[in-house]
This record gives sequence, C-alpha cells and structure tokens, in this order.
Amino acid sequence: MRRSRPAVLVARRLLAVPVVLLALSTAVFLAMRLLPGSPATALSAGGGQTLTAAELSANQARVSQALGLDQPILTQYLRFLGDLVRLDLGSSFYGSNSVLGLLAGALPATIELTLLAMAIAVLLGVVSGVVAALRKGTWIDASARTVATVSFSLPWFALGVLGVVVFGVWLRWLPVIGRLPNALDYHPTTNFVLLDAILQDRPELVLPWLRYLILPATTLALSMAGFITRIVRASVLEVLGDDFVRTARMKGLAEGAVVRRHVLRNSWLPIVTVLGLQFGSLLGGSVITETVFSYPGVGSLLVKGVLQRDYPVVQGAALAIALLFTLVNVAVDLFYLVLDPRLRKG
Amino acid sequence: MTDPVLEVRGLRVEFDLPGGRLPAVAGVDLTLRRGEILALVGESGSGKSALSMSLVGLNRGPRTHISGEVSFGGRNLVEAPESELRLVRGKDITVVFQDALAALNPLHRAGAQVAEMIRTHRDVSRAAAWDRSVALLGEVGIASPRENAKAYPHQLSGGMRQRVMIAMGLANDPAVLIADEPTTALDVTIQAQVLGVLERLRADHGTSIILITHDLGVVAEVADRVAVMYAGAIVEQGTREEVLFAPQHPYTMGLLASVPPVDGPIAARLPAIPGSPLTGIDRPAGCAFAPRCAFAHDACAERPALTRRFGGPGHLDACVLDEPARAAARPEGSRS
Repeated sequence: MRRSRPAVLVARRLLAVPVVLLALSTAVFLAMRLLPGSPATALSAGGGQTLTAAELSANQARVSQALGLDQPILTQYLRFLGDLVRLDLGSSFYGSNSVLGLLAGALPATIELTLLAMAIAVLLGVVSGVVAALRKGTWIDASARTVATVSFSLPWFALGVLGVVVFGVWLRWLPVIGRLPNALDYHPTTNFVLLDAILQDRPELVLPWLRYLILPATTLALSMAGFITRIVRASVLEVLGDDFVRTARMKGLAEGAVVRRHVLRNSWLPIVTVLGLQFGSLLGGSVITETVFSYPGVGSLLVKGVLQRDYPVVQGAALAIALLFTLVNVAVDLFYLVLDPRLRKG
Repeated sequence: MTDPVLEVRGLRVEFDLPGGRLPAVAGVDLTLRRGEILALVGESGSGKSALSMSLVGLNRGPRTHISGEVSFGGRNLVEAPESELRLVRGKDITVVFQDALAALNPLHRAGAQVAEMIRTHRDVSRAAAWDRSVALLGEVGIASPRENAKAYPHQLSGGMRQRVMIAMGLANDPAVLIADEPTTALDVTIQAQVLGVLERLRADHGTSIILITHDLGVVAEVADRVAVMYAGAIVEQGTREEVLFAPQHPYTMGLLASVPPVDGPIAARLPAIPGSPLTGIDRPAGCAFAPRCAFAHDACAERPALTRRFGGPGHLDACVLDEPARAAARPEGSRS
C-alpha cells in the first residue's frame, strides 16, 4: 500500500475542491439557462393587470436588460465566474437580497438538520447493525434486517408526509412547519441555534429548536439508518471472523470487551467510507425534506430558486451544497488517518 | 518434570458442516507434564489445531460439539461455563497463534496488546501494565522494547510480531502455553530465535508448552515428547528420540521418509505418502490410515487403540503390525 504523509493527503484533497466547485457551478449555470422559461417572463407578468402581448414583451426586454440576461451566454458566464472569484454570488432576482446573505441564514439550518440526521442515523444504524451481527441467524437479526430494508426503501417525501400526518396532525405532538416558533424572540448571531443559545446565554432556545428539528431530522435519518445497519452488520461480521478477535478471546476478555475494543474499532473503516458517501444523498434528501417541512434551509432555497428561475440563488445554493459535501469527504479522509495507523506514514 | 499439568481423556471435537458432522478430533488421550515441550505433529487437517483450540474452548460455537475431558487444576474445562473458562484463558493457559500479523489487532500498539492481557487478569494500573509489557517485550528479545512497544503491528518485522505474540502468551506466567505453528511464517534464523525463546521460557518459568507444528525439524530441535496426529487421532506418541529414530507407526515412518536427509545423498524424488489425508465427513471404521498404508491388511479393519506395543515404556502407537513388519517398513535414516 502506498503511504503518504497526512498533510500531503489532505492538501491534495483540498486542492481538488475548487476544481469540483468550478465544474459544478458551470453545470448549474448552464442547466438553469437551458430550462424553459426565464425569470424575465415570471417577473414581467405583472400582478393582476391584463397586459397586451406587446406590453408584455416590452416588459420582458426591460427586465432582461436590467438583469443582464440579454447578453450572450458566454458573456454572462464570464461575468458569473468573475464575480465568483471575488466571492460575490450576486443577488436574488426577487427582492435583491444578496445570495451570500440568504445562504448565511439557510446554510446553518441545513447543517443543523443534516448533522442531527446523521447522528440519529449513525446511532440507530450502528446499534442495530452490531446487534444484528452479534445475533446473526436469530429472529433479532432477521427483524433488524427487515426493518433496515424497509426503511431504506422508503422515499423521503413519503416518510416526511407520514411524519407530518402522524405526529403533527393526528397526535399534535410536534410542530411540522418551519425552524423555530414565530413567537420566539430570536436574533441570530451565527444562525446556528445551539451555538447562539450558548453565545447569547439563552438555554430556553434549545428545546423549541429541538422540537422543530427532530421530525425532519428523523425523516432524513431513517432511510440512511437502514443503509448503515446493513453496512455495519456486514462489516462487524467480517471482523468477527478475523484472527485477532480469537486472540482477544484467548486473552480471557469478556465478549463485551472483545466487541468494544477489538471488533468495533476495526469495523469503523468501511462504515466511515459509507457515511461520507451517504452524506451526499443525505444532502439530496434534505432538499426534499426541507420542502415537506417548509424548513428554511438551503434545500428550500434551492427549490424555490428553481421554481422562480432565480439563477443566482440556485447557483449559490448548489455551490453551498457541493462545498459541504466535499468538505465532509475531506473530513472522512482525515478520520481514516485517525482510525487506522496503517494509513499513516509508517 | 513428571507431574501432569493437563490431562486430556477421550476428547472429541466435531463440526457441523452442510453435509454432516466432521469429526476433527476423534477421541484423543494426552498428558502434558510440568515443564515439558510436547510437540503435536500432523498434516494440515489432522486435527491438531482443533484439538488445541478446544482445550480452552476457543472453538466453541453453535456448530461445534466438544466432548470428553480436559482436566486442568481439578476441573474439566470441556464442561466449564464460558465465564469460568475466561479466567483460565490468557492466565493459566495461553495460545501463541501462527501468523502474528493477522493475530494482532492492527489498530492497537504492540505494547498495549500485551498490557491488555495483563490488565484482563490482574488489577494493576495502566502504567504498571505498560511497564511490565515493555519488560516482557525485552525478555522475548525485542530490541529497544520501549520504542517498539509503541509500534503498531504493521511497523514490526515478522519475527518481532511473533515475539509480541509470545510476550503476550507469557504475560501472566501461564502454566500451559499452546504454540500453534509459531514459526511457520518465519525464515530459518528467526525461527531458531523464536524456538530459543520458547526453550528459555520453559527453563526459566517451568511453563509446559504444546508445540503444534508440521515441521519435523522444529520437533527435532526443541520437543521433549512427540504426539503424531492423523485424521483426528493420535497414532503414535513417545519421546523425541523414540518417535524420530524408532518410529512404530507406518504414518510416522512415511512422514520421516519425506524429510530430506541433512547428510548423505538426497533422492531424486523424495518419497511421499501416497493418497491424501482424510478430511471428509465419512471415516472408515478401522484404522484411518489403512487406505494409504502400504502394509494394510485384514486386521486393519478394526481401529487399533493407542497403546504400548514394541516401543519403550512411554512409547505408544496405534498399529497392528508385528515387529518384523515394522522393522522392514522403517525408512533408511531412522533404522539405526
């Protein structure tokens, strides 16, 4: 196996990030402009007034010019790239909020949602996967695997709607719309509610925040948990057959200690790989989940942006999601080095 | 040197396979005396590993059936519950596995793996266990043990890894150490060093060692007594001199004949035992070696017991051949 120094490994991964982001932003830039319909059409439709065709097209031309959409696509692209390099993501076509400002509000919400979902998924998936592996061939194993398969076969929107109906409408246990109650007096510092609760010394923020977050996060977590269950089960079973597990038993360790100290740590490598990759689909799922729960994250921003042909917002949101995904995978690479001494320079 | 430490009576180990039950160990009697090195010799699949693992229940499982008696410290370990057996494992009876790279946890430091063995059975601090583990690594001949204790298994050489295994094996001053092919993956010089460590261990601590090997050279070097296994049973047992120089069982003779002589001309083609060992589920009622034996006759249809026939007082074999037939069967090298 080729070994590289951790710093080199991380630097190489970080160098790839701008390349990935450039490719992605180009793709999004083109995709938006290839979609039928333009923001000019939407914006110039005028509220309630009946406009003649001539007036309409005059309006459209004016709007297009104002937004720079009358320029050739190459010019628009170069301008977009130039702004991007200066970290200027532009402003929304609607209300001219700066995209960076919108992301500053939405990204923390999405990070909170995905991280909590990840935590729930890992907790559920690892526990049930380990239990299933240790009880291989019993009814416990069989039911864990069945539940796992069912849960990762369920689409997010179905789970989300089910959650809304059951916990929000029937049982009325949990709020199902938004991120925090409107009545709550919250002035964001970082827009991470938990962080703000600490910074502003307002512990009373935590409970309502969790009440709003728990249902979308669980929705998002369940299908991933099913997937993790299966990976963890397979990984643990494989490690259980390794020679050093027999050595651990030879030492006279109790089975619990054998599993904790020897099996689990060695099972983590394939699990972490999968977690990093699954984080991508978790982000994809958050787009749907945020929409179902009207949760003000990047996903909602993205969906709204696409529907309104709000190019700068869509480009910004897509970039933010891609950045999050690549950073998580760099973190996964770093985590390997922590987990496995064989990957560090020998 | 004479009091028995471990006594095995009628030990059977059977594995459930898709086609039926595989008798890996088919009724073995064996006595291990204090401070002796007993070599357990046999081909792969002869049941020597199944035998030794079952001594401390390491191959217990839903598909394994172990019966018979393994007396140790006044108890029958075969019937001991797992909770009781755990106190014996790693403390009174330890195992040094072959292929140390696989047998050591790749994510734990060498010293920590030895220290874990100590802390499992002794109430000592982490620091004390670490110091003892460094001392043990030095004792088994690892250079700069303080530094190497911090190494991960992949950073050590094959010989060093095997020494880490041995250091682990003797961490708690066991009465019995089972060394399962401890030198198989090592080159000859390292092999000699590792065997030296085992001999010193026996001399310094009076540890009894069961040395599992298929290498007769290793047997000749360190063993006091030898038990030869074939198809799950012991076919011959005696002192090293008896078994190596006056073999009684045709299987032992065949094994010895297949070793190239150190002095004298080497045959163009080394004699091999025809056929292949029994590894399947179906076993003949009679002598298991008969199908491959050049001297098989009608009497072999009944399974011969392991008992003293024509050898010295402690020299047992499981063969019905009479003395002239045995003398004629013996290979050149061992007929002295």
